Amino acid sequence: MVEVWFGLLCVTLIVFVVLDGWDIGAGVLHWVAGRTSSERREIVAAIGPLWSWHEVWLVAFGGTFLLAFPKVMATSFAGFYLALWLVLWSFILRGVSLEVGGHINDRLWRSWWDFVFALSNVLLAVLFGAALGNVIRGVPLDDSGKFSMSLFTDFGVRGRVGILDWYTVSVAVLTTVLLAAHGATYLRLKTIGPLHQRSERLARQLWATACVLLAVVSLETWVVRPALYEAMVERPLAWLAIAVIVAGAWALVTGLRGTAESRAFVGSCAVIVGLLAGAAVSVFPVMLHSTLAPEHSMTAYNGAAPAHGLALALIWWPMAFLLAFTYLIVIMREYRGKVRPTEDTQGYS
Amino acid sequence: MDDPALWHRLQFAFTITYHYLFPQLTMGLAWFLVFWKWRALRTGDERYAVAARFWAKIFGLNFAVGVVTGIPMEFQFGTNWSNFSKYSGGVIGQTLAMEGMFAFLLESAFVGALVWGEKRLGPRKHFLAAVLVAVGSWLSAYFILVTSAFMQHPVGYVVAADGTLAIGDMRAYLLNPWALVQFAHNQAAALVTGAFVVTAVGAFYALRESHRDQARMYLNHGTVAGLAAAVLVAFPTGDWQAKIVARYQEPVLAAMEGRFETGPMAEITLIGQPNVKQRRIDNPIEIPGVLSFLAYGTFHSDVRGLDAFPPDTWPTNIELLYYAFHVMAGLGTMFIALMGLANIQRVRGRLEQSPVLLWVLMLAFPFPYIANTAGWMTTELGRQPWLIYGLYRTQDGYSDVVSSGDVLFTLIGMAGLYFVLGLLFLYLVGREILHGPDAVGSEPARHADREPVAQGGAHG
Repeated sequence: MVEVWFGLLCVTLIVFVVLDGWDIGAGVLHWVAGRTSSERREIVAAIGPLWSWHEVWLVAFGGTFLLAFPKVMATSFAGFYLALWLVLWSFILRGVSLEVGGHINDRLWRSWWDFVFALSNVLLAVLFGAALGNVIRGVPLDDSGKFSMSLFTDFGVRGRVGILDWYTVSVAVLTTVLLAAHGATYLRLKTIGPLHQRSERLARQLWATACVLLAVVSLETWVVRPALYEAMVERPLAWLAIAVIVAGAWALVTGLRGTAESRAFVGSCAVIVGLLAGAAVSVFPVMLHSTLAPEHSMTAYNGAAPAHGLALALIWWPMAFLLAFTYLIVIMREYRGKVRPTEDTQGYS
Repeated sequence: MDDPALWHRLQFAFTITYHYLFPQLTMGLAWFLVFWKWRALRTGDERYAVAARFWAKIFGLNFAVGVVTGIPMEFQFGTNWSNFSKYSGGVIGQTLAMEGMFAFLLESAFVGALVWGEKRLGPRKHFLAAVLVAVGSWLSAYFILVTSAFMQHPVGYVVAADGTLAIGDMRAYLLNPWALVQFAHNQAAALVTGAFVVTAVGAFYALRESHRDQARMYLNHGTVAGLAAAVLVAFPTGDWQAKIVARYQEPVLAAMEGRFETGPMAEITLIGQPNVKQRRIDNPIEIPGVLSFLAYGTFHSDVRGLDAFPPDTWPTNIELLYYAFHVMAGLGTMFIALMGLANIQRVRGRLEQSPVLLWVLMLAFPFPYIANTAGWMTTELGRQPWLIYGLYRTQDGYSDVVSSGDVLFTLIGMAGLYFVLGLLFLYLVGREILHGPDAVGSEPARHADREPVAQGGAHG
């Protein structure tokens, strides 16, 4: 039961990262890929109709987290207090810039909101990267079963760690590049003209950079938490995740070389799914690893809600998930193909 | 300042109060959009389509602010109320997850299509999008209200081995009588907000003598819906609400009414200042017997006052609770009177020729927001000092690992951010209203300022 819910929770998070990841990535590249105001309008139109739906998967994740692992959710959210509020503020700024930016056709107005949009997305990418880094490295959980973390301490990875250290910062850099690459792959699929060409070039460069960074971070992870690799080689699911990464990388490389834009995009999604799934399989069952003493770590088993509630939720949760995917397919069908800025205006009139 | 939960409480109160200014209009306006889209589809009358198109823009802005201010709400369960989440997550996690999975995903999937997708979707699918958004927003409200009702009147739970709560009976939890009553009352109140806003915009155009057709439509539809909803808020739903408080939280009802002493012929206080130390209402203007009648159906019934309960069961902030309740009830009564008058004039065909009434209707729109807020303050203040009534105290629920300095930091940040957000919202909605609905016969907004881009893709 606990294993199932750990899986479902990870699925929810991965869905969020893949879907909102291309919005965030496109946003990170907002000023780089879109050189003119109208190109930036096109970027907004490309991610437009579904950004709030993508973001809501984070709400679904939060709710599911509380449902299945209330102790872990409560402990980690309180422990990461300031960092989480920075995430929330970035979300607010991103949503506002997307919605209000188009309402007034004025150069200054639009430049300002384009800037806020790009900045908030960079912040989101960095913060999510740092969060992932923290989950892998661990947090200073003590015998009270709680922790409270400042944003930074001595930038070391042992003992009384802060949210930012040399390891989590490098994961944050990797995540930002990776999401930007994902976003560029999406923009390449959805746009035409100069914006399309620039996105294509960016996608190739960014994926190449991401490969190098991934190798570096993988080595660093071996230093920070070698146990993950030991777990990984023993678990068949981890091998499946690696297979997904390899297949995704193949689709990505061939898709980016040629003109198979959809294939490249599917590959991009698969690589991200594989990376996150691989990490999730390797950390299981530890959800909050203690940097102070391993016996204080919080696991899926000691952090889960009572079994009866989990069993009940297993009846309705998958139904809701399937329903949600039906909406996705319905909406995607309506909006498939290249973005049409004259129709998909997002208020940019 | 010696209350360590203070800043957590202030932050939650501020962010939830601000957030709820937006969903109440979303939930009220959604059914207007459905109605107009449906009329447009059935009659082919372009005026309905114009109305739907105009209000969809305001709806979109309002929805977006609702989304961005709503996401922090869920996170605060973990960040600021982690002990409460650990204690009750096994129960309330169910509905918070249901809200995200069933309702919020539905709502937000189709809101983009509703607001910006008219050309992409065509009239039928666009109508369907409006229905799905409306259903999603009301479903969302129900799951949140079940969560809130559990905190008022906990049912369907069991206590697990480690002392935390777990779900016991899902049906009892989801069909909590408190949730059903509060849903009826709250949704009617959201419709009041929607109706007053639509009416106010109609009155604004009527007074400016612009957009005449549209003004008439907003006034007609707004006042009809406004009267129906305002009546429903009071009777039967407000009445149910009072009875359920009387049944499960008797001291809270006494405090809401400012009733300190037990006795028959209980009077209802219209105006007066509670003096908790002296245990009386100062300068009271009251009608004897009415409270007895409202609570039990006869003028001579005994109504228990606060003196019948030990002081440690009294709500902690009786003064504010009393005012919140009286503001809500007073405004609710005035809404019925105002909308009743407007409907008399409407039936006589005089509404547009009544400038004074139009002025009042135009300026009345903030008051449903105040009444809704006061209503929620009544609910939540009435519950204090409990987080879960009779079960778990507010003092035990906050995140003790988070320092007051951290909470104040984020509270100040939220205040600044929400202030800017409010300015932006008012400016942009004001701008849309000044611009007004497009003339009948014009296509949905053209984009002369941009070169059309050649279309690719299968759907061209």
